[in-house]
Amino acid sequence: MAENIGGDNGDEVRILAFLCNWCSYAGADLAGVSRFQYPTNVLDVRVMCTGTISPYFVIKAFQEGMDGVLIAGCHIGDCHYLKGNYMTAKRFGVLREALKFLGLEEGRLRLEWVSAAEGEKYAEVIRSFTEEVKALGPSPLRKRAKAGVEA
Amino acid sequence: MSDLKSIVREKLRDGADAFLCLKNEEGTVLPALITDADSPDLELVEVGDSRYPLGKILIDLLREYPDKRFAVLVRGCDERALVELSKLEQVDLERLVLVGVACSAEEAAACGCLRPYPSDIALGEKVEAAPGREVIDEVESLSDAERMAWWREQFSRCIKCYGCRNICPMCFCKDCALEEPHLVEPGVIPPDFPSFHIIRALDMTGRCIDCGLCEEACPAGIPLRSLYRKMQDIMEDKLEYRAGESAEERSPLSFLGSEQDIEKLEE
Repeated sequence: MAENIGGDNGDEVRILAFLCNWCSYAGADLAGVSRFQYPTNVLDVRVMCTGTISPYFVIKAFQEGMDGVLIAGCHIGDCHYLKGNYMTAKRFGVLREALKFLGLEEGRLRLEWVSAAEGEKYAEVIRSFTEEVKALGPSPLRKRAKAGVEA
Repeated sequence: MSDLKSIVREKLRDGADAFLCLKNEEGTVLPALITDADSPDLELVEVGDSRYPLGKILIDLLREYPDKRFAVLVRGCDERALVELSKLEQVDLERLVLVGVACSAEEAAACGCLRPYPSDIALGEKVEAAPGREVIDEVESLSDAERMAWWREQFSRCIKCYGCRNICPMCFCKDCALEEPHLVEPGVIPPDFPSFHIIRALDMTGRCIDCGLCEEACPAGIPLRSLYRKMQDIMEDKLEYRAGESAEERSPLSFLGSEQDIEKLEE
């Protein structure tokens, strides 16, 4: 699945985006119907709430060869489940620092709050995040890249 | 240790149904559960310099005997573990009598935890120690790519014996993520970098009480303690929480919390 993102040649960076059902997925949908252009390096995973995203999911994404992981949910205070995104914010703060200590560049993991009305913001987030991840290049945790580096 | 022996007798007389500590059987140190003052094991009990996660045994004992009270010998780390386990609803402090042992100066210096003594000391003298930060400082002086290479090298020695998890006083889950085939591929040694070790590091965040038994148990000499120590530093820095310190305050990662916590995080 991951191999198909951004064309078949494998040179493009791959980004996994966890989008909350109520805000960011609707925001992505709005970006689509509004025809805002954004790069095709992103694979979306719709979750009911970003609070359901276990840090394991993020680890798994990198393990499966993603070069960047985006988590996008409702703005603080707007969570459909009232406080689900509080947990996201706390977990994310810890997870990013943990990955940084192990040597994964900070820029590969991003948290954004995107509401259902912010189609333009969603497109902009994807554009800037893709640029950032492209600048970092393929993830050192990619299995194929790893084999290349170690050889 | 005649001192410990009289304490065991005293606690058994004062209402504890059993006393959990360590005994030395011809040079082999084992956990011992003393249930009456005439027990032959009482002659073998000792404080010694061995450590063992007695809290793990207590989790099972308290469940098995819901109407019994247990006295237990605790060092500073054991006490922190029990405090944290109680907040995670694994032990009932109300049914425990903690008998505190302060680590000796040599033990404290060799181990290097933040608080090598329990809050209430029955045996030994309180000494302070300074946690070693050499590994953390070394890693932090490296660039991202060098850090990853450094950890990759460390973790490449892992033989996936699960010793770190099995000895850990804070690991009690029935289903362990480390045995989840989607996260950690079975039969692969060393385990996939970095999933195995990141999963453990993340699960230790806000939970590890810095006893260092993991690193002692690791046959490959992986600096696990420094990794988990760093996780606690991150936890303190981001969420102002350090595991094992307060009996009431729970880890911010175990409940949703208030908007103010999040605002602080975003600053």
